[in-house]
Amino acid sequence: MAKENLVKIAQLSCGSEYSGIQKEIETAASMVDAEIIFPELTIDDVKAVEESFGLQVASPDLKLMMARAQALVDGKTNADAVLIATCFRCAEAALVRNEIRRYIHENSKFPVISYSFTERTTAATLLTRLEALTTTARRRNLLAREHQEGLTAGIDSGSTTTKAVIMKDDKVVGTGWVPTVKVMESATEALDNAMKEAGITRDAIQALGVTGYGRFLIGDEFKADLIQEEITVNSKGAVYLAGHQKGQATVIDIGGMDNKAISVQDGIPGMFTMGGICAGASGRFLEMTSKRLGVDITELGALAVKGMQEHVEMNSYCIVFGIQSLVNSLAKGSMPQDVASAACYSVVEQVFEQQLQEVEVKEPLIMVGGSSLIEGVPKAMHDLLKIDVTVPPYSQYIGAVGAALLASGFINK
Amino acid sequence: MVKVFIYPSNSLILSDLVDRFGHEPLAMMQEIGKKIRTAGLDSPPINITPEDPKLGLKYAAVEVPAGVRGRMALLGPLLEDAEAGIIVKEPDISFGCMGCARTNELINFLVRAKKVPLLELNYPTTEDEAKAFVHKIRGFLNGLPGAKSGKEDE
Amino acid sequence: MSDDDDIISKMIVLHSTFTLPSDLVIKIYESKADITVKETCFGLIVEGKRSEVNRVASEIRNMDPSRIFIKERGVPPGSSNRCRASQGGGAKPGFHQHEIEFALLPYFTEALDEIERGEMPEIRDVTPPHLTIEKFKDIIEKEVKESE
Repeated sequence: MAKENLVKIAQLSCGSEYSGIQKEIETAASMVDAEIIFPELTIDDVKAVEESFGLQVASPDLKLMMARAQALVDGKTNADAVLIATCFRCAEAALVRNEIRRYIHENSKFPVISYSFTERTTAATLLTRLEALTTTARRRNLLAREHQEGLTAGIDSGSTTTKAVIMKDDKVVGTGWVPTVKVMESATEALDNAMKEAGITRDAIQALGVTGYGRFLIGDEFKADLIQEEITVNSKGAVYLAGHQKGQATVIDIGGMDNKAISVQDGIPGMFTMGGICAGASGRFLEMTSKRLGVDITELGALAVKGMQEHVEMNSYCIVFGIQSLVNSLAKGSMPQDVASAACYSVVEQVFEQQLQEVEVKEPLIMVGGSSLIEGVPKAMHDLLKIDVTVPPYSQYIGAVGAALLASGFINK
Repeated sequence: MVKVFIYPSNSLILSDLVDRFGHEPLAMMQEIGKKIRTAGLDSPPINITPEDPKLGLKYAAVEVPAGVRGRMALLGPLLEDAEAGIIVKEPDISFGCMGCARTNELINFLVRAKKVPLLELNYPTTEDEAKAFVHKIRGFLNGLPGAKSGKEDE
Repeated sequence: MSDDDDIISKMIVLHSTFTLPSDLVIKIYESKADITVKETCFGLIVEGKRSEVNRVASEIRNMDPSRIFIKERGVPPGSSNRCRASQGGGAKPGFHQHEIEFALLPYFTEALDEIERGEMPEIRDVTPPHLTIEKFKDIIEKEVKESE
């Protein structure tokens, strides 16, 4: 990647040095041309923070974290973005992390990510998150783009499937969708399919954007104009396809391997979470459910909508236990549609419990990605949150569309 | 001379008094110093690596946060060496190595559970209390085997 | 390598109106010890072989025993690992810890002076007894009655 403007990320954290992962944070930051900084403050700021912030905690390093957040909001430190990180499984820290995130979001314009780490957290895990954070801080102009112009292509090299689209003057004119086998071969195949549908050849493409797990590899190989993580392109693609580019929105993508919940303002991601404890909260669980029920994944949704999740007890907190309860309920004679419905509900419940607590859910809620086409999934989300859920057209191509849209900013460059 | 575990374990005052009155303070800084000077470790700023929270499993189960276990990997060996202890209850804010309340609860418990001679005293808030603090610590340290100092004892 | 040959750092904290960090530095140079010295806002940080550092620290303390406080320090003087110039600006947690203790040192000095003079004040623990629930009830009733 070309060297970009240095982004200063203010780190508000507790426990990263003692978990042995501070270096991982700094390595990930340097990979996206960012620098980790710590806000300046005095001991008096720390002593006063419980009263001024209003949250009393026992751990001094959490007080320090709150005081640093205040110093940041008060403009005492020159920063571009904020990383909030505490130890996974620390209840006290989780409270502080959440309240600081909310506080910064409400009182400043800093893009924020919040993360709970273990000693197993690596720079690779943090990379996508920091890439999204720095993009938001650095590329406001690019992200302001609301129209796709010219003839551009986008490829989303996901963990399970590879998607490609060709776009021309704000319209999708070709699509390709293949399971990811070998990253390069699948990307080539998806792009070929999309070009065939659009009736064009490679040299007609004026700009190419790539995203997804395989973005660096295919980006290099295809000499892409834009190589971008999925948080940014999915946010952009979602509000673009949903026709809601201005104002607030929440974008949820339940992916094959991990989930993204993104709070979006004017198409720009504000807060987001990535992850999920276990594949039990991902599209993978739905895939396994459909196999078990003997239906194609494309039929699972219609089946689920006919069922009642209340009839089946299912908890997919862990994919192994989730499959066990699926097998048990079938053995006890549950109806396949109820099981399908329960599986969709369980996945959505995991996303709700593990991720939506860390993101302000603002309407409209836009669900994207392949799993949004399984009708039972947006329905379960609607049932759980009691708000309308939008699934835009081409929602399974969201990353590719977002990449093609943003890539058009590179035409003539 | 005995080895005295101090809490807060990074305290200047406790470390100084133990040393001044003829014993060896067991303090976090010694362990950090060893880490930082270990060739081949490259995990700035204080060279605690992801291996340390795993070593900390000796003291706390896996559901205990990594930051607690990483700290325990440093403090644990000190606790094992402790022949006496001084605990200051509810110290004014102490940061960094002592910045985690859960770790602090655990190490205080482990020192008490060791049944070594132990002085527990309140954090001084007034001048008189601060003076009494020093005298109490001196009294305790002078009563430990092999104490060397104390002006009037010389 | 024996323990005495270990390399360690010690932080020498000085709060005094008549001894200056530079006096301590001169003393160290006079002692011809093979150690590194760095002046800081609190006093000095010295680094070298454990035996040397301990010897020097003890000589230094004797210059002004009630106003010089010493502890081992994990990080070597000037280490880029901890220096805020290379570590993103804000002070590290240990610095704040130090600020808090530094503010208390004058109180400890007085106690150490007393020891120096051979005074041994009577130590009384003056923890006020807990208010009993009966007593608290009486107070509430009395206060309510008076405010009526």
